[in-house]
Amino acid sequence: MVYLTKPSKGWLQEYCVDTAVAVIVDGNVSLRIDTQHLRDVHFRLGSFYQFIGELVIQPDNNAILQARVGRNVDGLDLNLYNQSLQLRRQFEADHMSRHKTT
Amino acid sequence: MDRYVHVKLLNSFIVSLSKTPDYRFALSNGKRVSLVETVGVVVGRERKDKFLRFHLDDGSALLPCILWLNHLYLSPSPSPRDELLFTMAVEQAEEVALGKLMTVRGRITEYRGVKQITVSNLRVEENPNAEILHWLQCIKLGKESYNLRPPLTSNS
Repeated sequence: MVYLTKPSKGWLQEYCVDTAVAVIVDGNVSLRIDTQHLRDVHFRLGSFYQFIGELVIQPDNNAILQARVGRNVDGLDLNLYNQSLQLRRQFEADHMSRHKTT
Repeated sequence: MDRYVHVKLLNSFIVSLSKTPDYRFALSNGKRVSLVETVGVVVGRERKDKFLRFHLDDGSALLPCILWLNHLYLSPSPSPRDELLFTMAVEQAEEVALGKLMTVRGRITEYRGVKQITVSNLRVEENPNAEILHWLQCIKLGKESYNLRPPLTSNS
């Protein structure tokens, strides 16, 4: 099963050179990332990364993100990001409700 | 809205612009928009001889962008200005790479019924917080300058 995903962000906890599978963590949540299609992304443990791709649910019910795009986002203010994301979603929801009523 | 101002918008707002009878574009409140600025991650890139097409993802919508590289084909004898514009456009095209966070400015156009930006200039954002700044600027300008307010309730 494949899902298109919104960007996934997290700290790089593991990276296997042989399989090109990385594990990122954010709080108590971790996600495996298949990075075999990525070029020009240098992996450094402890750095913060963003990936965009397809989320695949494997037969054993484990999820893996097949990344199409990845980038290092060291320096991102995560608290500000999360607060701003909530504001942005609220703003979009307000606009869409206006759009529907006009 | 001043037609020479680049209006800062989220991609979801750009793709939902409506077309006006004079073939321009308008926000949901009727304000006309010609030029826009957005920030997002490059998630697709297709280079041809005469143009570069790429897709910008800002988390709200996917926006096609086109950067023309046809300056030397527009006349049989290109002027020095055409050559300069072509050189600048090629330099900009080389900066567009998958995974880069970019600020893109340009004119809203439509191709096969899909909104896109015809790029006038772009830059790579090295600071990942540039994306957050753009969101907050879009919200502030939307509320205070573009008048994109939520609908008033009947008892307010």
